[in-house]
Amino acid sequence: MAREVVFDVSELEPPEPLVQSLAAIEQLKNGEYLRLLHRRRPCLLYENQQKRGFSSETRAGHDVACEVFIWRDGDDDAASAARAIANTLPPADHL
Amino acid sequence: MSYTALSLSQTPPLSVPLRFLLTAPLFAAAAGVVVLLFPEALLSRWTPATLAATHLLTLGFLAMTMFGALQQLLPVLAGSTIPRASLFSATVHLLLTAGTVALTSGMGFGSGVLMQLGTLLLWAAVILFASVISYALLRARSAHATVWAMGSALLSLIVAVSLGGGLLIYHGWRAPLAHPYTDLHLMWGMIGWVAVLIIGVAWQVVPMFQLTPDYPRQMRRWLVPLLLSGLIVWSVARIGFDAGNSLFVVVIAALLAFAATTLWLQQRRRRRLPDVTLSFWRVAMVSLMAAMVLLLLPGDHALLIGVVLIVGFAMSAVNGMLYKIVPFLIWLHLNNRLQQSGLWLGNVPNMRQIIAEVALRRHYRMHLLVLAMLLIAVLWPTAMARAAGAALAISELLLEWNLLQGVRVYRRVVRDASAA
Repeated sequence: MAREVVFDVSELEPPEPLVQSLAAIEQLKNGEYLRLLHRRRPCLLYENQQKRGFSSETRAGHDVACEVFIWRDGDDDAASAARAIANTLPPADHL
Repeated sequence: MSYTALSLSQTPPLSVPLRFLLTAPLFAAAAGVVVLLFPEALLSRWTPATLAATHLLTLGFLAMTMFGALQQLLPVLAGSTIPRASLFSATVHLLLTAGTVALTSGMGFGSGVLMQLGTLLLWAAVILFASVISYALLRARSAHATVWAMGSALLSLIVAVSLGGGLLIYHGWRAPLAHPYTDLHLMWGMIGWVAVLIIGVAWQVVPMFQLTPDYPRQMRRWLVPLLLSGLIVWSVARIGFDAGNSLFVVVIAALLAFAATTLWLQQRRRRRLPDVTLSFWRVAMVSLMAAMVLLLLPGDHALLIGVVLIVGFAMSAVNGMLYKIVPFLIWLHLNNRLQQSGLWLGNVPNMRQIIAEVALRRHYRMHLLVLAMLLIAVLWPTAMARAAGAALAISELLLEWNLLQGVRVYRRVVRDASAA
């Protein structure tokens, strides 16, 4: 069973959201995905996260503007659980 | 916490923006020295010293910082890189620096040859800068409000610089006297270029760095088009019918709305940590509102409006931006450089350690003092003018010192890491 790790960076001043998000994904264990709560689409995060071997889905959030779901490449349990939750949220095209 | 190398594929080399940002305070300090030596600069709008000091501030400080900041912000905010960034930056910097020196010396000493040389160099700088940046903007994948504002600001810059050069040619390369088109040059420069660019950057930077809610969506969509069309209609009425001052009310209302909204958003920010850059922005917004109110009052307040708009509004906002952009860039490049070369695994200094808060606050207080002294010198022309000039020079040297402090931290950390 996959486990969700919620991480709220919505009240941190740049560059802390980026630094702390990258530190947080590196702590993910097998079967875990990160649910990142952010004030805006984290443009600098994606390339850095991909280089470290992680994939993600971005959605418009409920309580914050943006939510990003991140899992380690190859961790299929975490990937499908993260996608299932992400698909319940509206798309983030306008962000 | 472990810091890992950050990808910088969208970010130009540190020298690209920094050479502009480190040159700018020196020009503003030079404006202070001009006022110190020629205090008549604050007596009338039409003295050679006034023209020289004004252009040292608008070209040497404002255009200089904005050219530097745009090259940094464009790739990050608009997702579009500038081709051959280092060569482009060095060329534009050289043209803008040499052009500003030549033009302002020509204006100050009444040399037609220097004014011609300065105009030529500045036109080259602006045409090169505007065409390359416009190309990058057109290529940008993002089409949000900031991109439109940047494009509108560049268009206005071309109008302002063409009008300025046109006025000099018209007056036979003598420091120009009063002419109806002088106001057009001034408004396209200060509002179309400076204010619109500050607004476009504010859409992003205020919510991001000051942790405020976003600006209202409708405002982001309509404010810049409204300002630009207001300026166009006003200019046409001014040229065609020698009238149109009442049309300027649209521009004034739009800028008042922007300033009031910014202050309101800052009241609603999430974390209430003391932040000098926020204080700089507040001074900028209050000054912008004051300048708009002064424009509505009867009588000639040109010098007063000039001081409030250039020093109170534009320079305060730029200072607020510089103190976020420079530490952020140094942090970003430091992080990347150390980690990529695998030199060092310790902590990179955080943003607040790169330029000390106490140094920022010292400059902020000095900037407020300069603004107050300049206002007093304009309202009651006395011995205060020289002192205000000296204070301006000191304040800008403090800014330069603070920015260099960031560069020193960068060099020290890299050196210590190599030695370890």
